[in-house]
Amino acid sequence: MSEKKQQVSRRQFLNYTLTGVGGFMAAGMLAPMVRFAIDPVLQASAIGDMKAVVEVSEITTEPQRFDWTIEQVDAWYTSEVTKSAWVYKDDNDNIVALSPVCKHLGCQVNWAGDDAHPDQFYCPCHDGRYYKDGMNVPDTPPNAGLDIYEHEVRDGTLFLGNAMPREEV
Amino acid sequence: MKWEKEAVKVYEEAKEYVDTLCVPLSPISLKNAEIASRLANQNKSIHILANELERQYMGRIFLSPGYIYSQSSNFEEEVSKLNQWVKAIYQKEFPHIFYLTYDVKWKKVESYLDGTLIWIPASKIEDYQSRQAKEEIQNQMHQISELIRTFW
Ligand code: FES
Repeated sequence: MSEKKQQVSRRQFLNYTLTGVGGFMAAGMLAPMVRFAIDPVLQASAIGDMKAVVEVSEITTEPQRFDWTIEQVDAWYTSEVTKSAWVYKDDNDNIVALSPVCKHLGCQVNWAGDDAHPDQFYCPCHDGRYYKDGMNVPDTPPNAGLDIYEHEVRDGTLFLGNAMPREEV
Repeated sequence: MKWEKEAVKVYEEAKEYVDTLCVPLSPISLKNAEIASRLANQNKSIHILANELERQYMGRIFLSPGYIYSQSSNFEEEVSKLNQWVKAIYQKEFPHIFYLTYDVKWKKVESYLDGTLIWIPASKIEDYQSRQAKEEIQNQMHQISELIRTFW
């Protein structure tokens, strides 16, 4: 085999191994507001496990969906996984970042996804609904509120960490 | 849900909520390098789409491992093989069945399929990490999920 051929196949091999399939399996969609929010300038920034997601000035009282990527390493390869959050400012100007993962069986919820309930999160799979604060609407399939991201604001940028289940009160 | 250890366990408990089966269809041929590399690329792309679809709708969609066939198949035979394959494996578990493919040849035999064909016009994605690829996948995803949701 020629040197050149070997190089090509080695590169291909690396490509397959390193990028993996995880790629953008997670790329978001559906919501009109979906965007890849990470500014190249912010890309490298992180506080511990927290990742820079969006400039605070872009956050409104209307929930918007922001996506960012994290690197996930498992035993065989490293892949890029996209994470998403619905982010808004509440009436007291506090930032709220909710996980889009439905607590029923894990589909992705959308803000105002159901025309009949424009002020709720909606899960298209089995009509699960959540109020704006992420609490599940009784008598819809989910039996818990949406998980809440740990967050921190530094220099006008919102950093998000892990999504935590809320305590049942 | 998909054919993975953890997901299968959840499926067992949540069966009644999972009413939609998705099966990616990929042709294989090694006869010609150029065609082979195009098909391999499409196979990758269809799985990215299928996985993304599953991630969005995991509570309702079961993503089957892909169905693989020879590119030079006789499609009248292939369609009945595929129907049998799906029936033998999944029996009557799923009221909605969707086949995802880039292979336009299925289009001709579409009406013989048990289920709905989602034929996606071939994409030219070469670099799967590019922003352009992400946008294209999102765009296709959006259309596919709208179609599926009209059946729900
Ligand atoms: S997965 Fe959301 S309502 Fe069932």
